[in-house]
Amino acid sequence: MARLRTRLLSLVAGLGSVALLATACAPGQTTGDAPKPGESVDPASFAGQTLNYVYFTDGPDEKGTRDLIGQFEQKYDVKVNLEILAFSDLVKSVQARLTGGNAPDVVRLSSLSEFRDDLLPLDPYTGADFKNEFLPGPLSAVTNDQGEMIAVPSDLTMNAPFINVDLFNKAGVPLPDENKPWTWDEMMAAAKQVKDATGVPYAFAMDKSGHRLSTILSEYGTTLVGPAGNTLDTAAAEAALGPIVQMMKDDQMPRDFWLGSGTKYKGANEIFLAGDTPIYLSGNWQVGQFSQNAQFNWAAAPNPCAKECGGFPGGKFMAAFKESKNPALAAEFVKFMNSAESQTTFVTAAGSLPTRVDLNESGVKYADAKTQAAMDVFAAELGRTPQADFATNGHPAFSGSATELVNQVSAVVAGNTDLHSAMAALSTKIDGLVAETKH
Amino acid sequence: MTTTLIPLSSRPPMKRRGRGTWGLRLAPYLFLFPNMLIFGMFTIWPAINGFNMSTYASSNGRTFKPVGMDNYTTILSDAQFWAVARNTVIYAIAFVLISTVLGIALAVLIEKQKRFKVFFRSVFFIPVLISPVVVGLVWGWMLERQNGIVNIGLSWFGIGEVPWLVDNGWSMVSVIGVGVWMQVGFYMLILLAGLQAIDPTLYEAARMDGASPWTQFHSITLPLLQPSVVVVVVLATIHGFQSFDFIYTLTGGGPVGATTLIVQYIYENGFQSPIRYGIASAGGVLLFVVVFLITIVNWLISRKQEAV
Repeated sequence: MARLRTRLLSLVAGLGSVALLATACAPGQTTGDAPKPGESVDPASFAGQTLNYVYFTDGPDEKGTRDLIGQFEQKYDVKVNLEILAFSDLVKSVQARLTGGNAPDVVRLSSLSEFRDDLLPLDPYTGADFKNEFLPGPLSAVTNDQGEMIAVPSDLTMNAPFINVDLFNKAGVPLPDENKPWTWDEMMAAAKQVKDATGVPYAFAMDKSGHRLSTILSEYGTTLVGPAGNTLDTAAAEAALGPIVQMMKDDQMPRDFWLGSGTKYKGANEIFLAGDTPIYLSGNWQVGQFSQNAQFNWAAAPNPCAKECGGFPGGKFMAAFKESKNPALAAEFVKFMNSAESQTTFVTAAGSLPTRVDLNESGVKYADAKTQAAMDVFAAELGRTPQADFATNGHPAFSGSATELVNQVSAVVAGNTDLHSAMAALSTKIDGLVAETKH
Repeated sequence: MTTTLIPLSSRPPMKRRGRGTWGLRLAPYLFLFPNMLIFGMFTIWPAINGFNMSTYASSNGRTFKPVGMDNYTTILSDAQFWAVARNTVIYAIAFVLISTVLGIALAVLIEKQKRFKVFFRSVFFIPVLISPVVVGLVWGWMLERQNGIVNIGLSWFGIGEVPWLVDNGWSMVSVIGVGVWMQVGFYMLILLAGLQAIDPTLYEAARMDGASPWTQFHSITLPLLQPSVVVVVVLATIHGFQSFDFIYTLTGGGPVGATTLIVQYIYENGFQSPIRYGIASAGGVLLFVVVFLITIVNWLISRKQEAV
C-alpha cells in the first residue's frame, strides 16, 4: 500500500513538474512567415482546391454572398466552404483558430484592429494598381505602415439621421433640404417643435454607440483618434455633446435607454419604428428593415452641420490571412468578390454603399424607389464627410476609445460627473489606449 | 448446536495480495481516468495556463510578451477594478445572506407542509433550470421603469415609478433580488435534504418537554442543519463571486458600472476591444485566490464548530 502511494505521489509530482515546465514557456508562438513576393496567381492552378471563408451576416447580404461564391466556384473550379459565425463570436473564434494553427483563408471583419499583424498583404497577388480601384477614405483604413493593402473595404456604411415624415407633416414643420443640411441648432429646434406638436415621447433618439457619437464629434470638428494618436479637442467635444446630454436630462431623448444597458451597444431603431421620435440618428444599415417594417412615411436626411458637415463612416472588410494554406487563391477570391460586378451584387443585396471609385461615380441601382432615395442621401453624405474620419474609424485604438466615450457620456447623464471632467478623463484614457496599440 | 472456534494460529494463512488483486486495486483509478482526463484537460490545464498567462501581455492570444507581475500592479492600481471589487463584495455578501436565510425559511416551510410538498419544491426549483440569459432578459422587461409589470403593479398601491435598472442603488437591489430568485431553489433543496435527515424523535422528545416551535428550531433544527448550511454558504459564496451572465443581460453592468462585477471586468478585458488576455488572466487569478480563501475560512470555521 505504501509503495503504491509512493508511486502515485511520484506520478502526480512528475505530471506537476511537466505542467510547470510547460507553463514556464511562453504560451504562444510567432506568426507565420510573410508570403514570398511573386507567388503564383495563375487561375488555372487553383482547380480542385478548397478555400475556407469565415463570414458574419447582417441578414440580407447572405444571399448575395452565396450567389457570388457560386460564380467563383464555377469560374475557378474550386470549392469554397462558407462558415457563418455570429458577429459576437467572430473575433474570439477566429483568434482561437489562429492560435490553434487552423486559420481560415479569408474572413469578413468589421474592424482590422485585432488581426492587423496577421493579415496577408494583397499587393503581390492583386497587383499594386488594384488599390486604386477603391475610394481613398476606405483605402486609408486598410493600408499598413508599409503602404500595402492588407484588406479590401468590401462595403461602406454612413451615419445619418432618419426622420418620421408623417410626424413632421402632422406638426407642420418643414422637412430638411437634401442640398442644404440643417445646422445642429435648427435640427434640435425642429425636433422639439414636432415633439411638442404631436405629443410623441421624445424629440430625438440615437443608438447607444461611440461610433454614432463620433458623428457628432466630427461635425463639431474633432475626432477621438487619428494617425497622430489622440486627436480629441475636449472643448469641441464639450460643445458637441453638451446638447445631447441636456436632451437626455430633459427627457427629450430616452435617458433610460442610454443608462440601462451598461457598456453594451444598443440600437434605438425600435423607438423610431414605434413612432416615438421624429428624428433618429443611425445609419444606412437600417434602410432595409425600415422599408419592410415602418408603418409610416420616413426618409433619410442629411447630417446636420456645425463646424463640418457629413456623417461618420463605417463598413466591413474582406481579408486573407498570412497563415492561409493557399494565399494566392485567397487573394484571388478577395479580388473577385470586390470586382465592380460582384460589389454591385453585394451592396444592392446588403443595402450598403460601394467602396469602389467606378461604382460611386456611376451610382448603384437598389431594389426599390424608397431604398434608392434613402441610399442616395447616404451616398451624398459620403462627399460631405471629412476624409480624416476614415482614418479615425480604422485606427486600432478607435474601438476602445469609442467605448470609453459611451462610458463617459453615461457618467455625465447619470450625474456622476460633469461634461468637462468627463472629456478630460476621456482624453487621458485615449492616451493610454493609443500607447497600448503601439506596444 | 455448538460452534468450534479455531485458534488464530491454526487458521490457514490469508492469501497474500498478488497480481490478481492489482486489477481490483487499479479498477477505481481506471474508472476515474476518463473523467479525470477531461477534468484535467478542460479545467486543470486551462487554470494552470491562466496563472501562466497572467504574467504575459497579449492582445491576440498568439504573441506573448513577458511582463512579470505588471498585470497585477496594473489591476490593483486601476480605480475601475476597485469599484468593481466593491460591487462584487456588496453583491456577494447580500446574496449569500439572503439566499441562505431564505433557503432555510423555504426548506422549513416546505418540510412542514402535509400536502403539495412536491408542488412547492418544484415551483421554487424551476428558476434554477432557466437559462441565466433568459432570466436577465425577462426580468429586464419586468423591471422596466415605464412599462414594466413590476412598476405597473406598484402603481396600483400608489407607488411611483421605481428606476429599478437605471439608478445606481436600485440597480444593485434588482441584481441581488434576481440573483437570489434564480438560485434560492437550489439551496432550498440542499437544506431540505438536511432537514429530512434530522431524527424526528428529537422533535417528539422536545415537544414532550414543552419546547416551543421556536425553541425546537433554534435548539434542534439549526444545530443539526449546520453541515448543510455550510455547504450552502460555500456554494452561494462561489456563485456570488462568479455571477455574470444574467447581470450582463439585465443591466449590462450599468448604469455606469454600478452593477459591474469582477467576472464582467475579466470578460471585458479578455474579449472586448482592446483585448488584454494578460489582465483578464490576472483578474481570474485574483478571483480564484479570494474564493479559495473564503472557502478555506468557511471550512475551518465549520470544522471548529463540529469539534465543539
